[in-house]
Amino acid sequence: MQNQDDYLVNLFKPHQGSMVDELSVIIAILAGWGVMNFGFQILLWFLAETPSGEGILSRLTIASFPFNFWFTAQFLPLWFIILCVIFNLYLDRVSERHSRKRDRTYE
Amino acid sequence: MNDGTTTIWPIIIVGGVLISFIVIGMMQKAREGSDYLFAGRYIGRIGGGAAIASNWMSAASFLGMAGLLYLNGYFALAYVIGWTGGYVLLLVLMAGQIRRFGKYTAPDFVGARYDSPLARLISAVISIVISLIYCIAQFKGIGMLFAWLFGMDYQRGVLLGGTAVVSYVVVAGMLGVARNQQMQYFVTIVSFIVPLMFLAHNLGYFWPLPQIGYGVAIQDLSREFSVNFAAPFASGTLFQWTALCFTLMVGTAGLPHVLSRFYIVPNVRDARWSVVWGLFFIALIYWSAPAYAVFARLMELRSGMVLPPEAARKMADIIVLKAAVMGGVPIWMVGILAAGAACAAFFTVTGLLLTGAASLSHDIYYRILNPRASENRKMVIAKGATLVLAALVMVCALRPPGLIAEITATAFALAGNTIFPVFLLGIWWGRTNRQGAISGMLTGMVITFAEPLFGRFVPQIATIFPITSSALCGAPIVIAVMIVVSLLTPPPSEEMRKFLAREVHGHLG
Repeated sequence: MQNQDDYLVNLFKPHQGSMVDELSVIIAILAGWGVMNFGFQILLWFLAETPSGEGILSRLTIASFPFNFWFTAQFLPLWFIILCVIFNLYLDRVSERHSRKRDRTYE
Repeated sequence: MNDGTTTIWPIIIVGGVLISFIVIGMMQKAREGSDYLFAGRYIGRIGGGAAIASNWMSAASFLGMAGLLYLNGYFALAYVIGWTGGYVLLLVLMAGQIRRFGKYTAPDFVGARYDSPLARLISAVISIVISLIYCIAQFKGIGMLFAWLFGMDYQRGVLLGGTAVVSYVVVAGMLGVARNQQMQYFVTIVSFIVPLMFLAHNLGYFWPLPQIGYGVAIQDLSREFSVNFAAPFASGTLFQWTALCFTLMVGTAGLPHVLSRFYIVPNVRDARWSVVWGLFFIALIYWSAPAYAVFARLMELRSGMVLPPEAARKMADIIVLKAAVMGGVPIWMVGILAAGAACAAFFTVTGLLLTGAASLSHDIYYRILNPRASENRKMVIAKGATLVLAALVMVCALRPPGLIAEITATAFALAGNTIFPVFLLGIWWGRTNRQGAISGMLTGMVITFAEPLFGRFVPQIATIFPITSSALCGAPIVIAVMIVVSLLTPPPSEEMRKFLAREVHGHLG
């Protein structure tokens, strides 16, 4: 049974050390992705004062944009890029550490 | 379509740019000799990113997105977010693993992972259908563009533009033109942003960075005409927004021609970084597209010539060009803009038709129908398939079912409901087997087309699975089906599970 578990790939039951590290960063990135994106739309919905959703966030302005428009059209694409950069930097570090531990050069 | 602005210059510029791509492609090919292969040369992370972005940029990004923003304001930002946020999913959940798995087309991956010709066949059919739907949207863009260029009606535009693009594909294929994707990206992005700077300058907004300058235009819209471009739920509910956005995201992560981009860079690390560069290059165009839409709205209201909704919907897909003309951008500059749009559409069609035909010939004809076919015979089938697929697309494009971005979104919904779950579970859950994959893909196909199939009889289906945004509810159902069916049937072979654990997840790169 133990032997079987060695090669059981399951997103929720990581086994090898590298996969545990990888998984924690994946979950963190996905959380940042979902909360900022879907969370903000839900927030808009909670703060809506009119049927078309106008509220405090569409009255506030930033760089002369209504805040909600700026956040979705300008900041979120940038945020996605930031998330990807964080993910890659982290994974670069993890993979270097693991390849040192196993005395194996990474690709 | 003709509004008296038709001059010869845009036609000359569009033709000239397309011909020069063929000439340059041939010169490159002559220089590099016959060993030009996709994997045959190192292009680096930034180059790989430009290739991803160039592969991605189609008429939907160039024309369709601004059109939807012009019609729907904030609601259409779901497209901006969906088409950028999908890359986060792709990078985090799949890019490295697919690169290590070593199979880069959807049928190859499905065939190898699930060890099943039937699953392979289904995924090949799905990939071809996705390419076809995607192409219909491109042909609509090309049709509108040609109708505008030559001052003719839309149907003639589709016939003329369709013939032009098919000739382009045939000529490029016959001459063996090399695809220089970095240069394609550069031409497309410059021809999108420079006219926008002209436009912002003419209207008196901050022009060196029109992507930031159009904020004032949004405020002018609401001050002068009390049009709130930024009202979040003016054109759709929270559910509709979220469903659309989520569908485009999982669709991006499952789109076959995006997945297959990871083989052009030499290792996993570079594959990951080229995704980031690609996302940045794509974001450049998506930061700019809303500006065209806002400027168009403003100029239209100022001139007092507001179109009725029906007419506005009809010309929305070409609003980028209309805005440039309305804003007094020099006609040669409008020609460059049109050339950029033509390039985006032409290159996308070329890529999709050729891979679709290759898949038809290799995955369906060779693998299933006639395994003893010679290379020559496969080639003949592929060439014939290109023309058949193109004809099919042209017929569908004559009566387009929606706006460019909406048609494209349907292709994304199909990818998100079928290919995405099959890749996701295939990589992350070793227990997924062929029965699970097959039943999942079939369920996904039914869900994608549930609205046109059953929407009339059961109105709830049209609400829960709208054709452009079915994956928010669809993808989780497909994943559930795959898990249940996999658990009820025997597990996949031990070698495959070992391979997944040791090679795909074993070490990081």
